[in-house]
Amino acid sequence: MTVTSFSFFLLLLAGVILYYISPKKVQWIILLCVSLIFYFFAATPYTIIYLVLSTLLVYIAGLIVDCEINEKCRKGTAFGFVAASIFFNIMIWFVLKGTALWGWAFQIFHRVIPAIDMPQFQLAAALGMGYYTAQAIGYIMDVYWGVNKPEKNPLKLFLFLSFFLQLTVGPISKYSQLQCLYEKHMFRYKNLCFGTQRIVWGLFKKLVVSERIAVIVNAVWADTEVFSGIWPWIAVFLYPIEIYADFSGCVDIVLGSAELFDITMPENFNNPFFSRTNQEFWQRWHITLGVWAKDYVYYPILKSKPMIRVGKWSKKHFSKRIAKFIPWSVGMGALWFVMGAWHGSLRHIIGVSAWYWIILVMSELLLPVIDWLVEKLQIDRNVFSWKLLQCCRTYAIFSIGCVFFVSSGVHNAIDRFKLLFHALGNLNVWTLFDETILNTGVTWMDINIIIIGIIMMLIVARLRENHTYARCWIAKQILPFRWGIWFVLLGIVLIYGYYGPGYDASQFIYQGF
Amino acid sequence: MTREEVYERLNQVFRDVFDDESITVKDETTADDIEDWDSFEHINLAVAVEEEFSFKIPMGKVVTMKNVGEMVDIILEMGK
Repeated sequence: MTVTSFSFFLLLLAGVILYYISPKKVQWIILLCVSLIFYFFAATPYTIIYLVLSTLLVYIAGLIVDCEINEKCRKGTAFGFVAASIFFNIMIWFVLKGTALWGWAFQIFHRVIPAIDMPQFQLAAALGMGYYTAQAIGYIMDVYWGVNKPEKNPLKLFLFLSFFLQLTVGPISKYSQLQCLYEKHMFRYKNLCFGTQRIVWGLFKKLVVSERIAVIVNAVWADTEVFSGIWPWIAVFLYPIEIYADFSGCVDIVLGSAELFDITMPENFNNPFFSRTNQEFWQRWHITLGVWAKDYVYYPILKSKPMIRVGKWSKKHFSKRIAKFIPWSVGMGALWFVMGAWHGSLRHIIGVSAWYWIILVMSELLLPVIDWLVEKLQIDRNVFSWKLLQCCRTYAIFSIGCVFFVSSGVHNAIDRFKLLFHALGNLNVWTLFDETILNTGVTWMDINIIIIGIIMMLIVARLRENHTYARCWIAKQILPFRWGIWFVLLGIVLIYGYYGPGYDASQFIYQGF
Repeated sequence: MTREEVYERLNQVFRDVFDDESITVKDETTADDIEDWDSFEHINLAVAVEEEFSFKIPMGKVVTMKNVGEMVDIILEMGK
């Protein structure tokens, strides 16, 4: 059951009706029941045991922390329990989800010591494991740091980790951000309208735009003999739009669905393609994962005694700039390693971690040279063309990193880079203007729809950059106009959406995590 | 220690960390108001405050503090 499937919307409708007709104090139990039903239909049912186990681990550790705060327990016990709960949560994730990582580790061991071979078993992973494991770790860290009190009701904690809307593509919420799950909610017409509108917009991005671009991108990479020259580069630069429309479209459906229950979840995107630097890009793309890694990996490393000592030592012996650079690059290295490893494969560690870490470190090192050049060339940093150039550079860097993301493995990614490099010698740009594109499986109509879709997404993004939300703007218009817009959009989704068997759309790219 | 006394010392901490003698902070000052106040300098600032006021800021407070006003509240609370 994906969040674009007919069965999901039936479950959502039933859930919303039941939620508002039930007594307010049991609304959270309705959410828990809907989450369980969703889980049993969307995942291998027995895998829920892993979710229960993760909940129990952080629940018990949370109670121990509380016990120590109240001075009923021996000092120091809490740290051990918190560390153990985090360790076992990571281990469960690593064994079930990080198969590619430990498979790779076993291969290395096997080469060194042939007697050591990879164990042959395959266990099904739990649904949304990367998301709920991150939330479980965040929860127990926050309890340990005193940011929030531990949850006394294990079922409420279980709902926080198993809430059905976040199991598909996140967002990764903090416990304090989802307190609304347990509050009493009144039915509001505005929530119904805004929630439905956001769902329709998400469906448009996923089914109308992303799925069409996917046809072109997949066809190009499937046959690079036919699609040679400039086409692999076209696929490289189209993929970020595909994955953005896919991922953010799914997040729109999730956040819109949550709005129907009067629940506000954290945003995961903030117009990433308007970013002028790589750092800014990652503050706008998959925001909740970035915030999670910053709060629970980057900050503790930077504030650790060894890092503070390194900083002070560097400041004393070198300069303030180096004193910043060394701890910063170590902290960033750890942050990016965790972000890459979270995706669960070696190619993600290289494509996400190594690539961005190198880019960020190089950007920091080259910053004085760039500043000097900008000053010498008398470039005004505030002009539109300079900002556009910076946005294009950020987009290009992300596009190249995505080659690892879209590949089937590290070797495949290297082959693709070789192909892209060789293609530079014979781009043959004229194939853009003949009918080569039609061989990918799309029609001129599809291409027009893609272009219109991208323009619509750009307009909405531009409005948001100016702090104007398209939904709010539409809501202020006269009734025929605003209803007209939403019915036309819904019509476009129904008529031009790409559907799979049984009117179910294909899987989301980020559903696998 | 009064709030004014905390601000007097805190202004100097900010000026040292950001190498800018013109900085004067107030309750509402956030990372958006000081150009170099990024996630790295946030930790640097926390460490510098710890050294200036001789106490350790809990990690939970470091992660959640949103503006200088909250920072001053923490200093006054920890300094009791």
